[in-house]
Amino acid sequence: MKRIGTFLLAGLAGFGLAGAAQAQNVTVYTAGPANLIDSLASGFKDETGITVDVFQATTGKVMARLEAEAGNPVADILISASWDTATDFAAQGKLLDYNSANAANVPDFLKGPGYVAQGISALAIAWNPNSGTPRPADWSDLTDEAYRDLVTMPDPSQSGSAYELVAALTTQNDLGWTLFDALAANDMIVPGANAQALNPVLQGAKGVVFGAVDYISLGQAAKGETIEVIFPASGTVIAPRPMMILKSSKNQDAAKKFIDYVLSDKGQAMVAATYLMPARSDVAADRALISDLKILSVDPASDRAATLARFNKIFGIE
Amino acid sequence: MRPDFFKRGFFDGGGSIAAVVAPVLIVLVAFPLLFVLLQAVFPDIALGSFADPFGRFVETLSDPRLVRWTLNTLMLGVCVVVGAFVVAVPLGILRGLFRVPGGGFWDLVFLVPFTIPPYIAALGWIMTLQPRGYLEQVSGVNAGAFLFSFQGVVFVMTLNVFPVVYFAVSRMVATIGGRYVEAARVAGSTPVRAFWRITLPLSTPAIAASLLLVFAMAIEEFGTPAALAARSGFLVLVTGIERHLSDYPIDLPSASLLSTILVLMAMTAFIIQHRVVSRRDFRTISGKPGAQDLLPLGVWRIPVVILFAVVGLLGAVTPVAAVMLTASTRTISGGLAVDNFSTVHFAEIFANSGGAMEALGTSLGLGVAAALITGLLGTLTAYVVVRQRHLGARILDFLTMIPNTIPGIVVAVGLILAWTQPWLPATPYNGIGILVLAYCCLLLPYPVRYANAALRQIGPSLEDAARVSGARHITVFFRILTPLILPSVIAAMLLVFAVAARELVATILLAPLGTKTVALFIWRQFEQGSVGLGMAMSAMAIAITMTIPIAVAIWTRKRGQMF
Amino acid sequence: MAAFGVSQRFGTNTVLKSVDIDVAPGEVVALLGPSGCGKTTLLRLLAGLTRPSAGRICIGDQVVADAATHQFLPPEKRSIGMVFQDYALWPHMSVAENIAFPLEMRKVARAERNARVKEALKLVGLDHLADRQPGTLSGGQQQRVALARAIVPRPSLILFDEPLSNLDRELRESLVVDIAALLRQLGMTGIYVTHDHGEAFAIADRVAVLRDGNILQIATPENLVQNPASVAVAEFLKLGLVLPATVEGGDLVVRNGQQRLRPPAQFANGSRSGDLFVPRSALSPAGQNGGTLSGTAVRSMFRGDGYSVQMRLDADTSIELFSPLRVDDGKAMGLDIAWDRAFWFPHGEAAPQHSNTTSS
Repeated sequence: MKRIGTFLLAGLAGFGLAGAAQAQNVTVYTAGPANLIDSLASGFKDETGITVDVFQATTGKVMARLEAEAGNPVADILISASWDTATDFAAQGKLLDYNSANAANVPDFLKGPGYVAQGISALAIAWNPNSGTPRPADWSDLTDEAYRDLVTMPDPSQSGSAYELVAALTTQNDLGWTLFDALAANDMIVPGANAQALNPVLQGAKGVVFGAVDYISLGQAAKGETIEVIFPASGTVIAPRPMMILKSSKNQDAAKKFIDYVLSDKGQAMVAATYLMPARSDVAADRALISDLKILSVDPASDRAATLARFNKIFGIE
Repeated sequence: MRPDFFKRGFFDGGGSIAAVVAPVLIVLVAFPLLFVLLQAVFPDIALGSFADPFGRFVETLSDPRLVRWTLNTLMLGVCVVVGAFVVAVPLGILRGLFRVPGGGFWDLVFLVPFTIPPYIAALGWIMTLQPRGYLEQVSGVNAGAFLFSFQGVVFVMTLNVFPVVYFAVSRMVATIGGRYVEAARVAGSTPVRAFWRITLPLSTPAIAASLLLVFAMAIEEFGTPAALAARSGFLVLVTGIERHLSDYPIDLPSASLLSTILVLMAMTAFIIQHRVVSRRDFRTISGKPGAQDLLPLGVWRIPVVILFAVVGLLGAVTPVAAVMLTASTRTISGGLAVDNFSTVHFAEIFANSGGAMEALGTSLGLGVAAALITGLLGTLTAYVVVRQRHLGARILDFLTMIPNTIPGIVVAVGLILAWTQPWLPATPYNGIGILVLAYCCLLLPYPVRYANAALRQIGPSLEDAARVSGARHITVFFRILTPLILPSVIAAMLLVFAVAARELVATILLAPLGTKTVALFIWRQFEQGSVGLGMAMSAMAIAITMTIPIAVAIWTRKRGQMF
Repeated sequence: MAAFGVSQRFGTNTVLKSVDIDVAPGEVVALLGPSGCGKTTLLRLLAGLTRPSAGRICIGDQVVADAATHQFLPPEKRSIGMVFQDYALWPHMSVAENIAFPLEMRKVARAERNARVKEALKLVGLDHLADRQPGTLSGGQQQRVALARAIVPRPSLILFDEPLSNLDRELRESLVVDIAALLRQLGMTGIYVTHDHGEAFAIADRVAVLRDGNILQIATPENLVQNPASVAVAEFLKLGLVLPATVEGGDLVVRNGQQRLRPPAQFANGSRSGDLFVPRSALSPAGQNGGTLSGTAVRSMFRGDGYSVQMRLDADTSIELFSPLRVDDGKAMGLDIAWDRAFWFPHGEAAPQHSNTTSS
């Protein structure tokens, strides 16, 4: 009972404390992975004494919270899993133009005015070797009869990177919509976001994820799951995760320090430890890097709504 | 309405209670929901601007898929209601009327589905029934085709929500007692006819109230239909709402607008329920107390126990077993092989990986706080609603219903919009208080419905006698009514506790910076594919969540009360 | 206790029409009437459980409700006791806790409370059941607990709402005597609602007969029986034979059956139609062919000291008579009327025409 009382008091106290931002705090709204931001936050605190308040969710949830808070913004730094967020926010003038000294070794296509990549994920084929299917080498292999009813794909409406993949593939002549038509004919399913697509493959209900987020699967493989990450020969898309300081930030100095920290050797090593590709080209990682991959580009003018509508129609998820 | 509302009804008699309850409900429920509505109408309300009213109406409402989604939602709601009725009403009546062997034990078993978050339950079923799932690994058969279909969604959701109906009905029937059935039997009715003609109609208020809750829960549930039926092309309104909220660019106005369709749907259900209940106001706790003996089951003992066991097996044991198996196998791909069993995930929890212990503590505290607050507030509200039959009371009644019909995520958006208004002198936002507010708002319907049904059973002479004995309204409420409806309210508070301790959807958006709860912890593990670790946390949370109901069960038994 | 012009409406339904009643301290008044006559409504108004639509109610010198001035004293401030038809015992409290509750509400100290609870239990003869739960008691015992709970705070007014109607006859008869004795012993003012005139006569100093929201007559039981104010009172109390009749040349023509009766001169006193009321004591069996009225014996029941005979009159009405001899079922029989004890209630007039004022 005493515990409950204490808790209630704490709850009531929470009513009063809100919004009292202190100078030695920086607030980060970030998409996953959770353990990355946790280690970045504690490392940053150790180095600078500045506390990092973290709100971590999916990109969608992060954006919804930002939007709802628009009248009374809380976040200093936003880390998204979708590059579009950065370009849009920059275009809307919502970003503080900050160019970190540590960003010198970040390739130009991974930074812009006010934003810079934290790390990069790529989409891949995640294959369960125990599934009794042959090892696929490319996207189009999965239309083969051997994979009938054994392929899953993250829903491009729920996963920004999966959308990028659809957009990139459908601008290719030899791949394009015919590939997706064939995959649909081969009974590929689109069960939900990234985790929902991977799970049935881990248990063996399905054999392959078409467009798995590579770092998640690499991490699971490292933990002993029977899953192999294959980067298709014809190329794939990458999803750089942009960091940005919001113009509404009241702790801009601390925010700049945090960006510097993420791009430092230490910070980038933490990024690499989660099996993401580091943003800096001079930081090593125990995985395939951008230079090892054939990157497909996405036409920035592609019509997102139309692409999604066509995709959903093919897979009967309207 | 005005003079009546203020002069006679509200501040007369039970009005002193209404005067307390109404402002609290307005802050707790009406304030955030108002902002959902404002957001639906004014796209830029988050910036405090009333520009471009109805700006999104045409675009959102002209979506050709909207009609199908709405019909699907309705179909899902109705089917889950029917499913819950078929499963829970017979069980509840058996439990309330007869000496079912192991009665209190079954109550605890049927509370388990409530402690399992719907997304975990759905995942548990997937991992059990899908091809190469646990069932196939053990028995060689799988039920994937059944699970990933509309029927599968109804099956899983029914098993998730039937306890709401079970507890309401068994409590109600227990207070009605067997004498009416006996009277019917003596009058020449067969047991079956006595059930249809006597017991069922007498339990109508409880059944209707709990089915209303089930309907509201079914139409706002996102995880289960998305996980199970989306791949077969069965999408519901919440799918659309979720897309507006997760698909860039975020579209709060459209999400709010679609939510109001859900509210309208729920309002219709509410009105139907109200009609049903108000025409059948049975006063079955009269001032003439009688010993309420449970009837013996006779030769039906074994079949009834089997029935309880089957439902318990499906509703509680299977999902928990799936959770436990996943939690105690090192890898999912390793399956149920002997060398794959391991305590590594539990060890990681105990090593406080990712603040697991902190998350457990926070969630339990939140659950207790939400249960206490909603229990008190819900009982008071139900009293006002039952005893004061004017429009104001009806509005309060409906107000406590709406949060149950709006997806948690939209309620969360409403709370953010409301509590970040710059003109507020103080705000719980970004403190743990906002989660307490959110859970109270979302879960208030349980105690209100339960207490409402229980209060309707109490003969007015019990209250009159206390008034004449010199007790003021407030004394009557606490000394006479509260003890009489306590079994029902405790049942509702346990449900609130169980749900609040594992709430995810609203928590994701509202969690104050750095706050960790059980659901957030589990969800983050899932997002990274660490299903085993997430499931280990779920197992711990279910176990710890169940300790409180078990403690309550033991306590009430010691005091000689019915649990 | 007094009520002046009290009426009660629920929507368009007027349940009580401008009722006046005055109860002296220490007096017990019964409100007697068929169900739906408004007696319970009147009782609830006195208790403060409802507000009057019009009129004024006083307890002692205090105005407790006045519709004109919106004055209203809630029940808990009225210092009353009440016994309910369904006992209204709180099932979650023991017998002693139930009885102690009114004292607790009046902030009586624990020691005194216990003593008074014991005393009240002794008064109703249940001192051995103090710690039982109400649900384990018999109906009669429960009602005694309710009685103890009502008297324990020594209220200035005690209200009974058909307290015995749920009990069997024997219990009813013994309890009504007990209640009457208790009220006299404690000198309490009481109002007792019932539909059973036996109960009302046994307990009350005065009885008010209610019908359709009106008080028809308030009088002592004796006066009520010997001198009913209207045919409705006589009918409700089943005091004897009521026959509607028209007057033709001094004769009474019974409306059903057209039987012609010859009362003494001046009996109908110039009226054209009315109701003939013959108290049971003014009727006597007159053998097979004699008598003023003819009819058939329907059923005879042995009652120990004689027979209760159900007789069907040719005038299409029934009456129950006492006969020292058995009358065979279906046998024709006649009735004689002692005209000096008969009443004539002309239609359209309130006051009864009595044949012989000396007889009452």
